[in-house]
Amino acid sequence: MILNFIHLQWKNTNNMPYCFREHTADIRMNVEGKTLNELFGDALLGMIEIMTPIKSRSTAIVKREIEIESADTTALLVDFLNEALAMMSTEHEAYTKVVFQALSERSLKAELEGYNIESFGEDIKAVTYHEANVKKNNDGQWTTTIVFDI
Amino acid sequence: MFELSQFKKINSTLWEIPKSFRSDMRVPARVYASEKMLNEIVRDKSLEQLVNVATLPGIQKWALAMPDAHEGYGFPIGGVAAFDTKDGIISPGGIGYDINCGVRLLRTNLNKNDAALHLNDLGQSIFAEVPSGLGRGGGLVVKGTDLDKILVGGAQRMLELGYASADDVAHIESNGVLAGADSAFVSARAKARGQDQLGTMGAGNHFIEVGYVEKIFDKDGAEKLNLFENQLTVLIHTGSRGLGHQVATDYLRIMNRVMPSYGIKLPDRELACAPFFSAEGQQYFSAMKAAANFAWANRQFITFEVRRAFERVWKEAIELLVVYDVAHNIAKIEQYEIDGAKKEVIVHRKGATRAFADQPVLIPGSMGTASYVLLGREASLTESFGSTCHGAGRRMSRAQAKKQVTAAALREDLYEKGIIVNVGSKSGLTEEAPLAYKDVDDVVNVICDVGIAKKIARLHPLVVIKG
Repeated sequence: MILNFIHLQWKNTNNMPYCFREHTADIRMNVEGKTLNELFGDALLGMIEIMTPIKSRSTAIVKREIEIESADTTALLVDFLNEALAMMSTEHEAYTKVVFQALSERSLKAELEGYNIESFGEDIKAVTYHEANVKKNNDGQWTTTIVFDI
Repeated sequence: MFELSQFKKINSTLWEIPKSFRSDMRVPARVYASEKMLNEIVRDKSLEQLVNVATLPGIQKWALAMPDAHEGYGFPIGGVAAFDTKDGIISPGGIGYDINCGVRLLRTNLNKNDAALHLNDLGQSIFAEVPSGLGRGGGLVVKGTDLDKILVGGAQRMLELGYASADDVAHIESNGVLAGADSAFVSARAKARGQDQLGTMGAGNHFIEVGYVEKIFDKDGAEKLNLFENQLTVLIHTGSRGLGHQVATDYLRIMNRVMPSYGIKLPDRELACAPFFSAEGQQYFSAMKAAANFAWANRQFITFEVRRAFERVWKEAIELLVVYDVAHNIAKIEQYEIDGAKKEVIVHRKGATRAFADQPVLIPGSMGTASYVLLGREASLTESFGSTCHGAGRRMSRAQAKKQVTAAALREDLYEKGIIVNVGSKSGLTEEAPLAYKDVDDVVNVICDVGIAKKIARLHPLVVIKG
């Protein structure tokens, strides 16, 4: 069992693990991490940054679980982000922490922790499979592109 | 990136990428554009995406891009493709995540001068009545069997509930409901995403615009649509909200899983598809219809909210009648003459509008610029699978637009043009700046030159309301 805490505190690190690139209508994000756990956690962080959540007055901490299986690691990442996106939309919440209790090539179990939101500044319709390709680059870093439909 | 030399020029507004361009193409790819516009389209990935569409099983005649085409994901936006229902596919990516995103035009009997003093109040009143739905406190909450009835009945169900008139429903594409929708094929999560979003606008390029008829091009056509110069109008642009997004997400995932069993291999997973008559293909088609019906119910409930907003400002009911309501992200079964015989096809329109002869077509421009009312023409049936463009089409990314203009400068510019803006997010405002879009006049001129539609009237904005 892999245990890895990723604290999603954006805008206070010098080396952002993700960056946004040009796309005519939507948002194209490049993300990288030393491990798959980092890659998945940082991709979630990037997505939440795009959504610009506005915190509600409630100080309650919310906890959710995601458990999924997919055909391969690329699909697993896209499906994971889509699961989190749907939960944020239906439950009106955003996440600041993710713990991967298990993360392999084709399945994962994650615990998310976050807060209630009042609203989002941006509406992501979906996380697409377009151009997504999780692989290790020459520096041994896990990387992929993710295109979000806005 | 494409070079102009790679195209076969059919005429001054039609360009072809021949089937020989890539070995996996089943048909040529065609672009409707002026040379100037084509030079802009080749800059992003739209045409690589169009070539990918031309590889899909069962595609007929050509993969088409309209002059408003730009890069999407999977299919390009402004794309049209028709697949044989017998041996072709259906692809959620060819319809998009915002199923039945579309446009509705309302007309009043007011002259724009009658409204001049009310415009500020009207903007605020519509902004208050029509939530963005991006957080808590959104639209009408509808759950369980009540939601199922909307998924099956669309705008017709809104008529039964008292939110629509028979006249409203008569002026909607497909009368506001696609038969054969089955809510059982819509996931619980999709229903949960939609259950508090009826009557909400969303964000991105969605908007409500109060404007007026600035110019009439065709007197008979305008009379037929009850449009007159200086008439106050309302344009509504939104779709199926989270419910539709989730339907697309769910079925893209399902189709990616089952594709290998149908022997389908694709250059991009976002093109995921299944044979039209497979179990997955039919289930998606049924769920897509349910989401399309939800979108028509949504635009209908927003119409109800806009009527309430007008009444609050004028202190009396103002007649707001539907001119027409079109879908621009949808798949429909239609018949066309192909190789000398009538053939049934499933036409995918992703950022494209149906343009049957004499059917009204609504082409919204970018924020602060003109919009067009067209009538479809007979030639659309032979040239473009009964389809035309859907808007101005983006030419610049959101990030670039933000770099080029500030919210304050844009607001000032719009103010100088006499346009009032009510917007929820500053960033949303600059992302949608007119400079980020192609010139809607150029787009519409190509369509009219080709002969697939004709200009009836041009609308000019007065008040823009965004989430």
